[in-house]
Amino acid sequence: MAESRLHRLSLILLGVITVLGAVAFALIVRSGDEWVAVLLWAAAIAGMHHLSVPTPSGRRINLAIGPAVAAVILLPGTAAVMAAYSAGLVGGWVVLRRRSGDDRDSDYVAESISMLIFGLVASLMLTGLSGSSLPLAWVQLLSIAAGGVVWFVLRALVSAWVGIEREDLASRYLWLRSLEDWTVALSIFTAGALFGMTWPLMGIWAFPIAILPYAFGHLAFVRYHSTRVTYGQMIRALAQIPEVADLAPRGHSTRTADLAVSIAREIGLHPDDVIELEYAALMHDVGLITLTEPAILQAGYTDEDVALWGAQIIAEAPHLQEVSEYVRMQHSPFRRPGEATDPDVPMISKIIKVASAYDQAVYEMHLSPLEGLERIHRGSAYDFDPEVSASLRRVLVQRGVIAA
Amino acid sequence: MSRAAVQRQHRTKVRLAAGFGALGSVILAAVIWVPWQTFPNPLLWVLFAAAFVYFEWHSVEVNDRLYASPSIMILLAAAVIFGPESAIVGGTTMAALAVVTPIDIRRHDWFQPIVNFGQLVASAAAATTVLSLVLSIGVAPGTPVLDTGLLRIALGSALASIAYALVNYRMVLFIVSRVYGRMGVRPWSNMAQIMVPEIGMGFLGGLLGATYLTIGTAALPLIAVVFLAGYMAFESYARLREAQESTIRGFIKALEAKDRYTRGHTERVAYFAEMIGIQMGLDGTQLERLRWAALIHDVGKLAVPRELIRKRSRLTEEEYEAMQMHVHFVEDLLKDVDFLQPMVEIASNHHAHYDGNGYHGTGHEHGDTPSKEACILAVADTFDAITSTRSYRVALTQPYAYAELRRHAGTQFDPEVVEAFIEAMEDSGRSYGSKIERTDDEARDIAEEGLDEILETDQIVDRDLTPAPVAEGVDNG
Repeated sequence: MAESRLHRLSLILLGVITVLGAVAFALIVRSGDEWVAVLLWAAAIAGMHHLSVPTPSGRRINLAIGPAVAAVILLPGTAAVMAAYSAGLVGGWVVLRRRSGDDRDSDYVAESISMLIFGLVASLMLTGLSGSSLPLAWVQLLSIAAGGVVWFVLRALVSAWVGIEREDLASRYLWLRSLEDWTVALSIFTAGALFGMTWPLMGIWAFPIAILPYAFGHLAFVRYHSTRVTYGQMIRALAQIPEVADLAPRGHSTRTADLAVSIAREIGLHPDDVIELEYAALMHDVGLITLTEPAILQAGYTDEDVALWGAQIIAEAPHLQEVSEYVRMQHSPFRRPGEATDPDVPMISKIIKVASAYDQAVYEMHLSPLEGLERIHRGSAYDFDPEVSASLRRVLVQRGVIAA
Repeated sequence: MSRAAVQRQHRTKVRLAAGFGALGSVILAAVIWVPWQTFPNPLLWVLFAAAFVYFEWHSVEVNDRLYASPSIMILLAAAVIFGPESAIVGGTTMAALAVVTPIDIRRHDWFQPIVNFGQLVASAAAATTVLSLVLSIGVAPGTPVLDTGLLRIALGSALASIAYALVNYRMVLFIVSRVYGRMGVRPWSNMAQIMVPEIGMGFLGGLLGATYLTIGTAALPLIAVVFLAGYMAFESYARLREAQESTIRGFIKALEAKDRYTRGHTERVAYFAEMIGIQMGLDGTQLERLRWAALIHDVGKLAVPRELIRKRSRLTEEEYEAMQMHVHFVEDLLKDVDFLQPMVEIASNHHAHYDGNGYHGTGHEHGDTPSKEACILAVADTFDAITSTRSYRVALTQPYAYAELRRHAGTQFDPEVVEAFIEAMEDSGRSYGSKIERTDDEARDIAEEGLDEILETDQIVDRDLTPAPVAEGVDNG
């Protein structure tokens, strides 16, 4: 859905949450429960919207769910929990307004729906199990765990749904991407549960007990994220050696990689494969560096040679074995006349082949986008995989380069 | 290394292993037999021992020379739970289990496990003894641990982790200095870096133990998750970090391999630079920066036409200019890689002279003194250039390279760096370059006559490094 529709959705949600909060507050004031504690937890939840942690999938989870987990244990009854959550989410909406970024609406929708459902599940389970023979600590732990599973799945589903609407990405891609966040989610939930369970018995010591382990994890997540970014930057840089040496047209590898990544997400490749694809597409022409060798220029070479040289260079990096294979296969035809399709050619190589050919047509032969697409379509069935060229078409329509 | 030196090292190892093995056994026997220690709850002991062994085997490299393992946290959490009357025997026996690692088994290494045994048992005994003392001084015997107060537990485990780190570190230093001589040891320079996370982990370990005592068995899954989630996060970070470095190494190696005159140059320069850095006492972060700078210092040259690199005669003025441009190729190529910016600055100044002459990178003017790291890189690069065969000159001898470095010390090179390098090189006992003495002019004449058939590669002893090309057979056929 377009940004404006998403924004409207978040406003509607905000309205619903406000009403829910009003009802819950009316309930707790009537029953005389501790509304000061409720307000304190609401403030904690609202404030934590300001902090977020990068996840392995490259997105962020905000930390508001941490105090929310502790609040379920420490507040008496479902009404109090819902009151604290609603007030916290209204405050969180205000906090998020101050943050820049185009994904705050979609994040808010996913995070607030899943938080409310988590609160409902966990606090109902807590009340239901409190009569059983289980020790209190286990009741608390089981309720948080059950609520947490519901939270995690729901959050992945909602953000996949919002993402399809927002960016036209494949649902499979988005769903798998959200599932990668489980280590981060587990760390935040553990911190919340530790706080909730230790506060009544150990007082202020609950702070170091809950926060210290999370801080170690947080540090690692942040470092992982920044290393991931610099790793990508480094591969981008290495891929440009032929361009800096004037052996390849400037910008071709970067543009090919961007287009290839869009196609892969549209098709719904696994997020890990999308990263490999990005690296392979960036480096698909790195074999051209061999052309600084005068003897080779004299002897002549083919595209397959360049692909093979590139693959040999990349294969020296122990962690890029698969990338090397994708680069080597990038010129394999989709299907030879009279033969069945070759199942050994990986999807990633086929995508690179299409993206690179399209980029060449548009930027080197100076064809229009439509003529470039036409070229790819004519080559489909033999040179190019029809599935990939159909996806290329959809990506170009989304980008507004060609008409629908 | 000579035969005698190998034998000497072997004898030292045997002596050390015997000493550490005996030490470990005595401590272990003592803690088991002392009457005031009773063995803890076996079920809990098994659980914590398994966790301790697992994490002891899977330590994570956080950054250069800093391996972190959460096992100290597990040891202290367990010690708090066992209480002062069982902590020493429980903790020390746990540690004794972790001595043989899968890597040692695969390598059939006997030395490491025996030494580990002594080291781990002594460190664990020291840590648990400190904790037990703190938990029992001024407290009536038999008081539950929790009643001594959380502050006492937390501070006691922080102190215990300091004891653990001190004993452990001292012993590692002792072993390394005995077996490997001086190389690679910089006593205490990294102590603060190691101590701070260690104290934090000890503190937290004690508190987690107290958490178990307070809320019961439900704390166990939570503690397990704390360890696993934290461990996995650090582990994937460390793996990615390693991937990053091995990627650039592999890439450069592959590109260099296309030319026999540059083959292995980068790896050797990185090795020499690190050697100088250690000799001069740089810390872990500086060493890492230096190594990266060395790895990228010639990336730009990959984009220079091969005719220039292979030219047999002296380069003309214009050609020399074109060659020097590779300094700017590095800057151009790597400008978008944020974390490499400090290294790019070092690398792009490796042709700048100590006295401010020479070829500077962008942002530096004629007359600027290059940074210490750039000076180190310049010496490492020049030494490798002199001692390996280039298209225009066959390799010269190591003494010639020393003389050449000393001759230009104070002008082209930083004299301190030159002396540190020569000292470190002599200590390492390695030798590079040709064995035949020639003057620079003779070496150039030979190259100009053509040496396609006479390249031999038998000079460098380090098996991890590609040998420098040396034209050895020129005179004796």
